[in-house]
Amino acid sequence: MTPAAEASAPLEPYTGTPKLMVPAFGVGALGILATLAGFFATSAKGEAAHAYLLAFCYWVGISVAFTIMVAIFHTAKAKWLIVLRRTMETGASAIPIFILLFIPIVLMAGYLYPWWPGSPLLSEIHGIELEHLAHKQHGYLNVTFATVRHVIYFAVWCFAAWKLRGLSLKQDTTGELDLTVRMRRFSPGILPFLALTLTFASFDWLMSLTPLWQSTIFGVYYFAGSFLAAFCILTLTTARARGKDLYGNVVTTAHFHNLGKLMLAFTAFWAYIAFSQFLLVWIANIPEEAPWYGVRIFGAWKPVSLVLFFGHFVLPFFTLLSRNLKLQPAKLSVVAIYLLAIHAVDLYWLIWPALTGTTGPTFHWTLITAFVGVGGIAVGFALRNSRNHFTMPVKDPYIAESLRYVQP
Amino acid sequence: MEATVLDSWVLAEFETPDILVDATRQMREKGFQGMDTYSPYPLHGGSEALGLPPSKVPFIALCGGLTGMTTALAMQTWMNTLDYPLNIGGRPLLSLPAWVPITFELSVLFAAFGIFFGLLGLSRLPQPYHPVFESDAFRTASTHGYWLSVPHPTGQDAAAVIDQLKALGATQVTVVTGEKE
Repeated sequence: MTPAAEASAPLEPYTGTPKLMVPAFGVGALGILATLAGFFATSAKGEAAHAYLLAFCYWVGISVAFTIMVAIFHTAKAKWLIVLRRTMETGASAIPIFILLFIPIVLMAGYLYPWWPGSPLLSEIHGIELEHLAHKQHGYLNVTFATVRHVIYFAVWCFAAWKLRGLSLKQDTTGELDLTVRMRRFSPGILPFLALTLTFASFDWLMSLTPLWQSTIFGVYYFAGSFLAAFCILTLTTARARGKDLYGNVVTTAHFHNLGKLMLAFTAFWAYIAFSQFLLVWIANIPEEAPWYGVRIFGAWKPVSLVLFFGHFVLPFFTLLSRNLKLQPAKLSVVAIYLLAIHAVDLYWLIWPALTGTTGPTFHWTLITAFVGVGGIAVGFALRNSRNHFTMPVKDPYIAESLRYVQP
Repeated sequence: MEATVLDSWVLAEFETPDILVDATRQMREKGFQGMDTYSPYPLHGGSEALGLPPSKVPFIALCGGLTGMTTALAMQTWMNTLDYPLNIGGRPLLSLPAWVPITFELSVLFAAFGIFFGLLGLSRLPQPYHPVFESDAFRTASTHGYWLSVPHPTGQDAAAVIDQLKALGATQVTVVTGEKE
């Protein structure tokens, strides 16, 4: 069929095989095998473990952010985005695969977390830090409680993603109005649980790399970056989803304008949260908290901190201010790719100093293999889930309103 | 004293916002300029139908924000670093992180000023009187009427314009004349 005929044909469930799916699975499997080989067969165990953690946090954060996004939009009863909602639900539907992808982290935990039994990192910890870890933090940072917490995290995420997507898919066939009511009732109820689980997961995965350092806003920081990345993926998918039975044919510039506005808003939100966290630690300047930032803002890590300030806030903020740019999907996609890259730098800045300390930024090949490994499997799995379903909620009562949405 | 030049407008009321927008677009395509629409709430597609250029308000807001940012940074540096140096907790006299909250607030304030006063200025407000208020029927513009005003040379016969507006679906058409400001 010609593109014009494809665009005007009635929408059917998407039965094609996404072009990216098979390569994604292939690259993903190879990447994970290479990373595991890097961990077990070479002496760079710390590097491979931290690289894998970075990749895992990057992709699982986006998937959970998609779940939160669907729940937020249902709670707000937003109508403009309904044409985009299936993509968010599909992104969220990748969460179960992360249970499998979490296994390598358990295998590598000794090289990540000093509180893990038998961790070689424990010998590097002295004084007050060791005392805190042994007495004050032991009640939280131990294997039994960590296991319980992770069961809760993945249970809540899988349940929320499965429930929201399930109701939405059911509506595709039955068209029952009651399902919309149920989604809108379920969403505000699950949001506090999603917020708390993501906060504590970020504490467990990222903050406990340096157990002495604590920041209560850290969960929001991780969420802000992940949420922004999720909007970037949504923008990229929407811009590329053109062809038979794909929803990109019916999306208008008004939708892209809104996605651009949300990207701008969450660029600013990330900066706001990042600075809020920094200012309190900087101004209080107490020995337990300050070293975490001390490592990052002085010496060898200073350039990376500056790159984050200018590259994660100043540049994208002023670029996205342009109304003209937000109306052009191709240009907005370039910004989205850029923001996805800088989000990886953000996580690198969070994780890598725990490994190298004042030595500064280093590069290890597992950073690449782990990133494409976890990413490939997750993206492939989400694309697989998108098959044999409509690419937008065709029988949502507000789908027509969403399609003819114009800027107010 | 010079004789005052009076302006005239042809006012037309339409039944729904869609008819108004459609009529506006067609009148503009016929070559009428300087038209304006009036409705009780924001009109979808109204500015596109009038062929208005992109709004200047965002640019004014950006200038306001940047002015606020520069003002705040300069003010704090002058006060805390140069004019009356204060050592707070042994930090450097020029501690930019401590400047940020004030800088942020002042940027927001000045951007808001820019939007508020910029909008007033661009709309030539406040404007307590306009000849369109001469028409009693025009009062519905603030409750349920959708109006279009078409400038018309004073003293000339407006029958042609009136006919065209009626053909586009106007329910009532009047001509008002008066001194604008």
